[in-house]
Amino acid sequence: MSYLDVIDTLQSVADGVLFGATYSLLGIGFTLVFGVMHKINLSYAAASIGAAYASLIVLSVVKAPAIFIFLLAGLAGGIIGFMIYVVCFRFIPQANPLATLMSTVGALLLIDEIIVHATVGIPVPYPALFSDVIVNAGPFTLRGDLMFMFALGCLSMLLLLVLLYRTKLGIATRAVAQQPVAAQLCGISIPRINGLTFVITGVVGGIAGAMIGAAIGVLSPLLSLPLTTKGLIVTVIGGLGSIPGAIIAGLLVGGFENLFQYFRGVTERDLYVMLLLFGFLVFRPGGIFSPAAGRD
Amino acid sequence: MLELKGLSKHFGGVRAVDGLDLRVPRGEVFGLIGPNGSGKSTVVNLVCGLFPVTAGEVLLRDEDITGLASHVRVARGVTRTFQNIRLFGQLSVWQNLWVAQNSTEHRSEGFLRRWLGGPGRAREEIDRILEFSDLSGKRDELAGNLAFGEQRRLELARAVVAKPALLLLDEPAAGMNAEEIDQLDARIRKLKQDGLTTLLIEHHMELVMAVTDRIAVLNFGQKIAEGTPDEVQTNPLVQQAYLGVAEAA
Amino acid sequence: MDFYLGLAQIVGVHTLLGLSAYCVLLTGQVSLAQAGFFAIGAYVAAMLTVLAGWHIVPAIAAASFVAGATACAVSFPALRVKGLMLVVATLAFGEAVRLFFFNFDYQVAKGEVKIGPAGGEGFRQIRFFPENGWSTLDVLIFIWLFVALVMAGLWWMDRSRAGAVLRAVGEDEVAAQSAGINVTAVKVAAMTVGGFIAGLGGGIFAHYTAHIEHAQFGVALATFAIAYPILGGLSSVFGTLIAVVFVQGFLIEGLRFLGDWRNLLFGGLILLAMNVRPRGLIDAATIAAVKRMRTSNKEPGNARTQGAE
Repeated sequence: MSYLDVIDTLQSVADGVLFGATYSLLGIGFTLVFGVMHKINLSYAAASIGAAYASLIVLSVVKAPAIFIFLLAGLAGGIIGFMIYVVCFRFIPQANPLATLMSTVGALLLIDEIIVHATVGIPVPYPALFSDVIVNAGPFTLRGDLMFMFALGCLSMLLLLVLLYRTKLGIATRAVAQQPVAAQLCGISIPRINGLTFVITGVVGGIAGAMIGAAIGVLSPLLSLPLTTKGLIVTVIGGLGSIPGAIIAGLLVGGFENLFQYFRGVTERDLYVMLLLFGFLVFRPGGIFSPAAGRD
Repeated sequence: MLELKGLSKHFGGVRAVDGLDLRVPRGEVFGLIGPNGSGKSTVVNLVCGLFPVTAGEVLLRDEDITGLASHVRVARGVTRTFQNIRLFGQLSVWQNLWVAQNSTEHRSEGFLRRWLGGPGRAREEIDRILEFSDLSGKRDELAGNLAFGEQRRLELARAVVAKPALLLLDEPAAGMNAEEIDQLDARIRKLKQDGLTTLLIEHHMELVMAVTDRIAVLNFGQKIAEGTPDEVQTNPLVQQAYLGVAEAA
Repeated sequence: MDFYLGLAQIVGVHTLLGLSAYCVLLTGQVSLAQAGFFAIGAYVAAMLTVLAGWHIVPAIAAASFVAGATACAVSFPALRVKGLMLVVATLAFGEAVRLFFFNFDYQVAKGEVKIGPAGGEGFRQIRFFPENGWSTLDVLIFIWLFVALVMAGLWWMDRSRAGAVLRAVGEDEVAAQSAGINVTAVKVAAMTVGGFIAGLGGGIFAHYTAHIEHAQFGVALATFAIAYPILGGLSSVFGTLIAVVFVQGFLIEGLRFLGDWRNLLFGGLILLAMNVRPRGLIDAATIAAVKRMRTSNKEPGNARTQGAE
């Protein structure tokens, strides 16, 4: 392997890690909902893409600087998140995991179809920020849009951690995640916390959706299924319910993805990501930070 | 029948069961009592194989069963009930019992007949046990729709239908009224007549004192006393253990 | 007429797919790998008839066995985990299978053309039916023969002890274990049978579509596989059949006149169905009601047991 190959490899891994920030955000969304409700929300990635679309619509009506698109996407994500909670979880018995699994599939299909319907199935260009900025660091080039994305991702994660660990709301949320019955006895309303969790994860997802749109340059409903898969993989590799795990796993998957792509081509890339996941499931089923082995 | 040698189970730093030695003679109803958190339920979970032991041995008929999986122990003749009833709620009463027919005798029926055949001779046996448990009229009811006392009876029936040699009852009287406890008492005696060995864990002292042959008292995972009901009742250590807890609470 | 025959073919194959997930769901496991087993069945059967020149019956039988064996092998590591972890593990397996066929290139020159699976382009020229002069009706009867066989088999199993045991494991693994059931063996068996049925469906699917490619076996198909039994209810195999007819016949074909709006309705109706009937269209209560109706039609007081019927 020549010097240039090494540089190229590192370059693509670095790009992958930067893009991986979006996977981290998606992973956090899955993991938070699982942590609080012990349920899977399969419509999450679709909702995130949907929020990015919604931000575009708002931006086309109201004239505003492009930076607002991320805030708008977050806002839309929060609203969609709450709607998903109401239609998929609120009125379905908790004890029936299959029903909520299926209802979120229904929501996934519904969101995808609404997008297809509204856009006549044509991918929509998404504004990228700082795409003209290119930083040269030695032999490496760092794309401005990816760096901005990464920074934004880190910022949202930081805010989320502050929210969860430093505010009363966050403490209540974590109380519900750990001991729902005890939390209820302390006067915490579980439906309200569950709903709030969906709003919070929705905001995070909306930002992730906007970041994905900005990084790829277009939005398409075709993104939602692969992103669902990636988000779930990140959740499992990071360890169910572990936010730091999801963050690291997202960056890891992003980096490995580009590494595999560099060596084996785009058609085989995901095959190796799946194998990576299998490795984790067999050797480290508890995820990176394994809080307790063998829990489900 | 059952012998525990130096049985220990630690959860992190908590020694739920700590070096317990116990012999349950064949054909007896053996009581295991102790304050809340003294490790009684853990003993049941260790004997039936739900938890792996930290140290020590579980012997059944002088054979070491310590490393065996739960379902293998059932085939060897150890069945149990749960403190917080765990029935198959979406199955009928009848099916709950059919599923649990897992003794060696049942296993010898032949694979296809046993799994894909009709109820066959299982039927008489289940009908008998339904009668024993006073559930004959409920056989097609979903287990989840039964009243609380009926669910308790069905759990006992499910443990008995596998033709065990050793029955582990984990607080079978919890939540029952006086009449139901009397019926439970009668059932335990009837099972004893049939030659069954029972390890009974119970808080309801009247029942324990009435029905058991011997009693062991646990506190903080260790045996502090053992003897006949009368001996245990008058043992100062036992009174102290219970009173001590009462003061702390 | 041909339209309805074609629709009935689709319904038949999807019923097999749904029933394969039904077996696994009974044990409380959500497997998104069924599309993968379906794909294995499709490719194996098609390669056997096209490249090896087998008759279709041994070809789909062999394909089912390959898919069943794969399912059995996969279930051992996969069943170490449960819940969400299993969903993701099986999803990853299904995707890995799809991506394998995406990259799978094995073409043989036959005369002037090359035939066989060609990676991303898929596997064309699966012409067993036209080559042997089977009419659409013949194919339809062929498909439903297998559907009927599988349904009868599962229906029988449901009423035997095996059915009760599968459901017991699905309800409470700890209690099942304590009732003497080897939970791992039961789950592996369910996965194997599920894989076998999915392989059967895949083998048939490959031959009536005549062209298979990786994109047909994606996450969407895996989701449909579990959607049928969940929507239909896990209390009876007929629930799955009804759900397939409802989804494929009514939602996808019947509402075609709605154009674009049909797809919107689809997701919305799933949502509605789960809110209104969380245990599926046919649940335990429905079965009990039907039973009561039947017994009251017979002589009153005839208390026959469920197992004895």
